[in-house]
Amino acid sequence: MTKNSKNEQSFDDRLDNLSEENCLIIKNEFKKLINYDFAAFLNTCVHCGLCADTCHYYIVDKNPKNIPANKLGLINKVFNRYFGLFAKITPALYGSKVLNKDMVKEWVDSLFGRCTLCGRCALNCTMGINIPYIIRAARGALAAARLVPPGLQSTVDTAIEKGNNMGIAREDWLETIEWLEEELQDDVDDPESSLPLDKNGARLLYTINPREAMFFPLSISAAGKIFYAAGESWTFSSANFDVTNYGLYSGDDNAAGLMSERLVKSRRELGCEELILAECGHGFNSNRWEAPEWLEKKYGFPVKSILQVIAEYIKEGKIQLDASRNKKRVTLHDPCNLVRLGGIVEEQRYILKHAVTDFVEMTPNREKNYCCGGGGGQLAMTRYADRRLETGRLKAEQIKDTGAKIVVTPCHNCIDQLMELNKHYKLEIEIKTVAEIVADALII
Amino acid sequence: METVLRYGVIAAFFISAVVLTFLVLKTLSFGRRSLNAAPRGNWKKGVFYAFGQGMMPWEKESAKNHLLTYMAGFCYHFGIFAALFYLLSLVIPFACGKMVINILQVLMVAGAVCGLGLLLKRSLKQFMRSLSCPDDFIANLLVDLFIILSFLNSSLINLKPILFSVSILMLLYIPTGKIRHCFFFFYSRILFGHFFGRRGVFPRSQHQFKG
Repeated sequence: MTKNSKNEQSFDDRLDNLSEENCLIIKNEFKKLINYDFAAFLNTCVHCGLCADTCHYYIVDKNPKNIPANKLGLINKVFNRYFGLFAKITPALYGSKVLNKDMVKEWVDSLFGRCTLCGRCALNCTMGINIPYIIRAARGALAAARLVPPGLQSTVDTAIEKGNNMGIAREDWLETIEWLEEELQDDVDDPESSLPLDKNGARLLYTINPREAMFFPLSISAAGKIFYAAGESWTFSSANFDVTNYGLYSGDDNAAGLMSERLVKSRRELGCEELILAECGHGFNSNRWEAPEWLEKKYGFPVKSILQVIAEYIKEGKIQLDASRNKKRVTLHDPCNLVRLGGIVEEQRYILKHAVTDFVEMTPNREKNYCCGGGGGQLAMTRYADRRLETGRLKAEQIKDTGAKIVVTPCHNCIDQLMELNKHYKLEIEIKTVAEIVADALII
Repeated sequence: METVLRYGVIAAFFISAVVLTFLVLKTLSFGRRSLNAAPRGNWKKGVFYAFGQGMMPWEKESAKNHLLTYMAGFCYHFGIFAALFYLLSLVIPFACGKMVINILQVLMVAGAVCGLGLLLKRSLKQFMRSLSCPDDFIANLLVDLFIILSFLNSSLINLKPILFSVSILMLLYIPTGKIRHCFFFFYSRILFGHFFGRRGVFPRSQHQFKG
């Protein structure tokens, strides 16, 4: 039995042997996580069912459990049972339920295993209910009882213990940067070019997804090349470089706050003006939008996506691109956390229009785009891998319809999922980050 | 008897309002979420969008793909408001002109048909049944009955005692079940607009680097 399957088995055993005390912990934590907004939302759902086929899970698999209103309903049943006005008296009338072992199991299966927190249902809800944020709160209650599926929990634990979610040691990180710096110097034919580390007073502090250092070093090189071409003053931190934050997905606000605080600390210690987030959808949502709420403080400095920086470089003429170097047909996948939930919608399109000759949109696109199926921590939760690949069918069909040879996406989570979809659905595409496409077109 | 029931309607309205207020206060007791992240867009524009363009079927895939259901929902609510206005005219009382009554009747008939249609959809479609609890059916039936009785009373026969009795039941039921969305809908839409407006997602006029 592998370590992974042992962890999964032990998680199932824990679910099977849940005590009333565990359920009480979840209930109490849930109450703490419910705020006025969420309580108002939970009083609003009329079960109209119009959200059903806006969810990629339900579109692909007509299991009623996949309907967003049913996922919300699981939470609402418990909310009504304990915190509603009348459901305590006549629970059957409102379908309210006690939070017992069976209900906790349903919560885990539906809230972790049937939702990527992509927000497409929220956008389409006739009432305007922010379903993913309520689901995240319920995930947080499960997290308080250590009932986050093993793969996702271990990703959070690794990030907390080792400083980044891949557990990359400091010396390995430094070595990677050193090696990539030599590559950059060869590439731009300038021995003075660098990938600066801990440069005090640099204007920008740039962060990465640790998967870049482990598996996709070209995207780090690409960002370095763009900064070089723009003559930017920037730096990496040797201590805190991880833009990801799986606390967003596990629902654990304390862990999430701790991870985001590290980047804030490094920016302060290095005296950088701006915190620049690599191409990572959930990393952007976490650090740009959620972290100030987790940490309960206003930042007082700009937190930007690298896409905003690149778009500004192009607009201000700081970098020149030759689009004819990217002649293959390119399409764009919009990461949910960056676009629908993050507000970065047009920057990537502005960049691609300058960097490629044949750009074609998916249908639908922008904030209406479908989730690739890899968000919400799904890539880390191996127990739901089959569902993840199945729900990705929708994205695979979207890609096929464009006839594109290259899919660009500003998110490493999405890249991982798209790579699996590429193999599974035989799409025969290349998958790149925006920075990689820009680096290919850079005139130096 | 009719006068007693008329006062009963007024009393039920106030009881409903008090319970709804209590429900709102209970909701408020969960505390507000502080917002510290610097906004990228304008939340007011987002709220404006949420109640305007954001309600249009072409803006929402859920509405566009289920236009009949979405329009039935709209019609149903117009019918409810028409019946409520008619009830008000009986309770206060005040006289409505023939033309006003005719308009109300058209709205009530359309509303009742749509309400019953939605009830039928909920009963017949398997995925809708999976979403529903008894409250969903009771609330719909009660409101349909209220609209139908209002229409019948306005056009054919004097059904005031029954209409007032059903109105009392309906008013008392409002805060207890799903009909309470009549209040929370507005708050949810404000929150929706606030969230997406602040983040610069909606309205699209807020997008930077537009092509």
